[in-house]
Formats: sequence, C-alpha cells, structure tokens
Amino acid sequence: MGIIILPPVVEDIVPRHEESDDSMSVDSDEDVEMSGVRSPKRARIGNETVSTGVVTPGEVVTDDPQWMRGHGTYVTPLSTSIIATVAGTVQKTNKLLSVHPLRARYTPEIGDLVVGRIVEVQSKRWKVDVAAPLLAQLPLSAINLPGGILRRRTSSDELQIRTFFSEGDLVVAEVQSVHQDGSASLHTRSLKYGKLRNGVFLAVTGTGGSGASSSTTKGGVGAGALRPGAGSGMGGVVRSRRQVWTVNTHNGGGDVDVILGVNGYIWISKHADGAAAASSATENVSITRMEEMVSTSIYSSQNDVIAPQTRREIARLAQCIQVLVQGGVRVDEETVMDAYEASLQVDLEVGDDDDEDEETRHEGREYLEGAKSRRILELVVKRVG
Amino acid sequence: MSNQRQASSASQVPHLSPAELSYLYTSLSLPKTPIRPDGRSPTQFRPLTAETNILPGTNGSARIGFADGTQAIVGVKAEVEKTILSNETLARNDGGVGGEQEGSAAVGGHGSWVQMSIEIPGFRDDDALPVFLSEMMRESLVGAVGTDETSDMTGGLKGRLVINKRWHWRLYIDVLLLSQPLAYPLPLLSLTTHLALLSTKLPKLKSQGEEDPFFDDDWAVAEYLYPRPSLSSGAKSSARSSFVRPPVTLLVISVGENIIFDPNREEIAVADAVLAISITRDSEAGNLKLLSIRTVDPPSRLTQPGVPNSENVSMLGAVAPTEDVAVLNPATGEEEVPGVWRPRRGGVKRSVIAEMVKTALKKGGVGEEVLEGLEGVEVS
Repeated sequence: MGIIILPPVVEDIVPRHEESDDSMSVDSDEDVEMSGVRSPKRARIGNETVSTGVVTPGEVVTDDPQWMRGHGTYVTPLSTSIIATVAGTVQKTNKLLSVHPLRARYTPEIGDLVVGRIVEVQSKRWKVDVAAPLLAQLPLSAINLPGGILRRRTSSDELQIRTFFSEGDLVVAEVQSVHQDGSASLHTRSLKYGKLRNGVFLAVTGTGGSGASSSTTKGGVGAGALRPGAGSGMGGVVRSRRQVWTVNTHNGGGDVDVILGVNGYIWISKHADGAAAASSATENVSITRMEEMVSTSIYSSQNDVIAPQTRREIARLAQCIQVLVQGGVRVDEETVMDAYEASLQVDLEVGDDDDEDEETRHEGREYLEGAKSRRILELVVKRVG
Repeated sequence: MSNQRQASSASQVPHLSPAELSYLYTSLSLPKTPIRPDGRSPTQFRPLTAETNILPGTNGSARIGFADGTQAIVGVKAEVEKTILSNETLARNDGGVGGEQEGSAAVGGHGSWVQMSIEIPGFRDDDALPVFLSEMMRESLVGAVGTDETSDMTGGLKGRLVINKRWHWRLYIDVLLLSQPLAYPLPLLSLTTHLALLSTKLPKLKSQGEEDPFFDDDWAVAEYLYPRPSLSSGAKSSARSSFVRPPVTLLVISVGENIIFDPNREEIAVADAVLAISITRDSEAGNLKLLSIRTVDPPSRLTQPGVPNSENVSMLGAVAPTEDVAVLNPATGEEEVPGVWRPRRGGVKRSVIAEMVKTALKKGGVGEEVLEGLEGVEVS
C-alpha cells in the first residue's frame, strides 16, 4: 500500500476532428456550403492539408493560402504557410484558423476575481503574482485602510506598508483596470477582499478564463465545454457567476469557503463569518464599531483554531479540484460540489466492499488517486453532462 | 535573481505566506494523525510510473515519472579499464611478500570507479545542488558492502567491478532530471538510479584468471550487474528472496512528533527536519541495512514569520491584550502563539530521528515496500 509503481501509459492522441469537420469548427453563420453537402475540394482541405490534433510551436498547420491566420499562429512574410506559435488544438471558424493552447497564462479582464501572491513591496504599491504574463499591481490607494472605512492615506501608512501585505502573502482582489501592456491593476476595496488565512492554496493549470473556450462556456453550451479525458485544455477555472461560495461539509467539517480565482489560483479555507471573526477578536464590541473590527481583522496573519475534521474536509475539497483538473473538466461551483459529493459516495462504496481489517483500510483512505479519481470523474460527468 | 537562485540551490523554497505555513504545520503536526494536504497517510508514496531499458546505447537505463510531473532518466555505461596499482602496493609485491597481499584496490575495488553526474535544468554542473546530490548518492552506492562471502557481490558494487588484478570495470552513471525540480529531487533521482542499476548488464567474461579480459559478444548471455532471481539459476538462489541491491535514498521529514515519507514541496517547506536516509538490502539475512543519514537544510528556516494579532500594528486596539498566550511547542521547545508561524530554528530530537530510522528499516516497513516495488518492475 505504501508505494504504487505503474507501467508507463502511452497516451493515445486521438485527433479530435478526424472524422468530421463540423464537430470541431465553430460555425458562426449559416454557411450553406459547410452545413450542407461539402464539395470534394473542401473535404480534401479539411482532412489532408490542415494538420489536425495537437500541434506544437513551429509546426506548419497548413500551406493552403485560403486560410486566414487567427490566434496562436503566425505567417512568415515570404510564404503562405500558417505556423503554430503555441502547443494546442487547431480550431477552425469558417476560414479562420487558430490554435487553442493546451495551457495558457491568465489574461486579466476588468472585474475578474483573482487570488494573487505578493512578490514585491514598493513604496506605494505591491506587485502581485496573478499567473498573468506580467505582475499585477496593487496600489496602496486601492486597499481598505484599517481604523475606518474611508480615510485619506497618510505617509505613516506608506511607511508601514508591510503591515498590510508583505512578501508571500496571499490576497483575494478584483481586477480594477487593465493597462495597455496587458498588466492588471487590482483593488481590495471591499470587505470580501483582503488577506487570506485559515486555509490552503492550490494553483491549477489550464486555459482558465482566457482563450477561445470561453466562447462556448460563457454561452452556457455545456456539452461543448465538458469533455473529460480529452486532454483538450478545457480544464481549469472558468469565469462564472459565482466564484466564491461556502460548502457545508460532511463528517463534521463545518462550513468551508472556496474561492476560485479566475486566474487558476484557488483558496479553500475555514468559513469566517464576519461578525464571528470580530467577536472572537474582542469580546465586547459595540455594534457601531463592528464594521471597523471586521476591516481590521483582514490584515491578520494569525490563523484561528481549526478542528481536524475541518482540515480533513478542506484537504478533500482540494483533492477533488485536483482530480477535476487532471481529468480536464472545467472547475466551477457545480463541478466542484459534484466532485465533493462523488468523493463521499466513492468512500462509502470502497468502505462497503473492502473486507480488510480496519487499520489497513484506513491507511491512505483519504488519498484520491487512480481508481478513486476515475470513479469520481465518472460520477461528475454523469451528473453534469 | 542571484539571491533567488541561491535560495533555490539550497532548498527549493516555494513562497508561502505565514498563514499557509502555520496551517500546514498545524495540520501535519496533529498528534498521531497528521493531515497531509493531499490526504495521503504519513508513509504513503505518490504513485509513480517506471520503465527500464529505454536507452539502447547503455548497459542499463531507467525512467521514472512522479505524479506531480517530475521525471528523471538515468543511463549506466560500463567501460573496461586497466587497474593502476599504487606504488606502495607494487613495492610490497616486489618485496616478495607474495600473492596474498595484493593491492587492496585490485581486490576490494575502488570508489572512484563509479562516476556519477547529475544534470538538473537551470543549474550548472558545478552548482552546489547537483554536486552535493551526486556525491550523496555515489557515496552510499560505493559504501554498500555485501557481507555475503559466497556470492559475486563480495565487497559490494566495488568488488563486483573487479575483473581481475589488472582490469576492472568503470561505471558511468548519468542522471538527467527532465523537468524543473519541483520538490527536493533526491528521492526521484535515487529511485531512478536504483532501477537503472538493476537493469544494468555486463557482457559475460570468457577469459579466465589474470588473462587480458575477453568477453562473449552475445548480449543475450550478458550478466546482470546485480544478480536477479531467475528460474534457471537453481532452487537455492531463487528460494532466497533477497539479493544484494543498490541502495535507495528516501527523503523523510519530521513535523512535530510526526514522521512523513515522500514529502511534497509544501510539506518540506514546513518541516522541522529533513533527512535523507540511504538504505540497502543486506544479502545475508534479508534485512535492511542503514547506509547513511544526511540532514538536508530545512527550508522552513528561511521563511517569513507571521505576526500575532497582538503585535500587529494594523490591528491596534482591535484585540484584547490577553488574547494571545504563547504556549510551549513540545517538539521544538520554543514558545509560540498558536496559529502564528515561526520559522523553525533547526534541530530535532533524538527520539524522532530514531523513530524515522526505525520506520524506514523495520520489517514490512517503508524501506522494504519501496525495494519490493522497484524489484517488481520489469527489467528486460
């Protein structure tokens, strides 16, 4: 039980649009020729001269001059061949050829909820890693200063900038603006935002909120978005209505907050009730000062007391998200909750047909891997799809 | 950049916030039942994929991939080399003391006959990490001495490399880490090297005694460097389940009173002590033998401390002063406020180290499971 050594698996890369063009190409307008009987010439192009499946950077996607180049491709000035610049799948929209990357960095958009890590402290702002190509900035003027909801920032605030956020700290913030070069400016001017504590962090890869897949996921065409096991880069956190929610966990875990940053950074923590957090800090606080108390506790780096049961359920939720990402399933409230329920169900199933003695059964029972993760994925796909 | 590089060469520290470190530490140090971030039990390893004989130009090779995506390839090459006897030995032989006292190198072998080079992306080959890792692995490899007088493996690997008094094999072990080192790469490299050595074959010697060596050119009859259990080698040896095996080095951490195997990098980041334990199988009794213990600088020393609420300037006036009472951490003997991260100062209790070694070595323990698992990998 201690160690499992598996033989290597040869991953079959099935070209996803081998048999028919229509399943893959996103048809924006009603093209008679495309939806109807395809001309022989067109079929030849679709199946032979455009390389299908996964392309790698530098690979010639097509030599045919009739295609237009889209995202993820380039054309050398002297030739007509379209060359991929990212590793990903070829996507065709009418005559537009684009390569949808398997993995991409996050492209900030205004209003995105992101989780970031402070990497640099400057005199009047922080530099925050949000998994974007450039570091985001969080100006001192864009945070809630303690001791009052709205007040002018003073030079003493500038001097003690590290007491708010210091290097390595995790913050949850919102993208306030996006600059010309694609870097983002963040703000935490809400009681929902601020420093993170009482939980675990995990980063998931995938194309996240960016990329062409958002056109299908945003529109709510679920069937296109959920294609588990295809390895198609569809996994990752997608922009959705609810990025932050509270899970009422089983096994006596209590309430657990999940924050899905659009940038693929995820925070899972013990649920902190605003009023409860304040009253735990001070016993007798007047109702008028309540607001103030809440706003001061957002700069604390001291964890509350967290019960082992809660820690277990937090670990389980984190694993569920990992399973979803490995299976190439998008991560949002629905899938995470389904995966969580499924993991509980799988635990029961395993508990039933396992007749070993109690001790060995308990060994690593909470590790979701291999058969368990496959079963969870199965259940999630069944529920969502 | 250079600063960051220095830190990474010592210990691959992920940048974690004090709140995260405190959460991880408390979870991992819960008495008796640590909660690992990925739900594993303390002695459970992450599943790994392994294959051997992947490089056709080598005497033996292996590839291992961990579930977190890190991969390593090891190739072993052997070369026949003339043994250079030291002047002292020659003089003694000339003095007519006789054949009984040959040069010790000619019989017992020499540690320098095994050469190991490790390549890690992003590191120069003279950086501290690759040099330290290769020396750590080579040392346990040549240090492992078989006590079984009857087998080929007298004198361990060194003795196996001796062809005759004038000739010997020289082993080149090239280790290549294919991915960025996410965690401390030692266990991955060690397991891969172990597997590559298991699959290493040397051509069958046709010459006898002190003749110049002459080998059978039929690769099918080549002999394994480390003899393997086989059906043809007779009931006696196949009944004996244990053979001399190359050592494996396991990374073990202690957090509080708990001992955790195969840590991932978040777990290493909060460890009180990080130990590299090299073990091998002693052929005689089939027991495991401890070859070496090395402490690895725990990265938790370099982390940012957390600020208790009572000392937090931005929370002034919000907390009752009696709120935070420092309690004594039984594992480190330091006073800490619960929920606030304090960087570890290093140092570990003797009983914890003893427990670590015991868990690795005991019958049916972790070390045995790892060796058995590696033995089960197909090596043809």
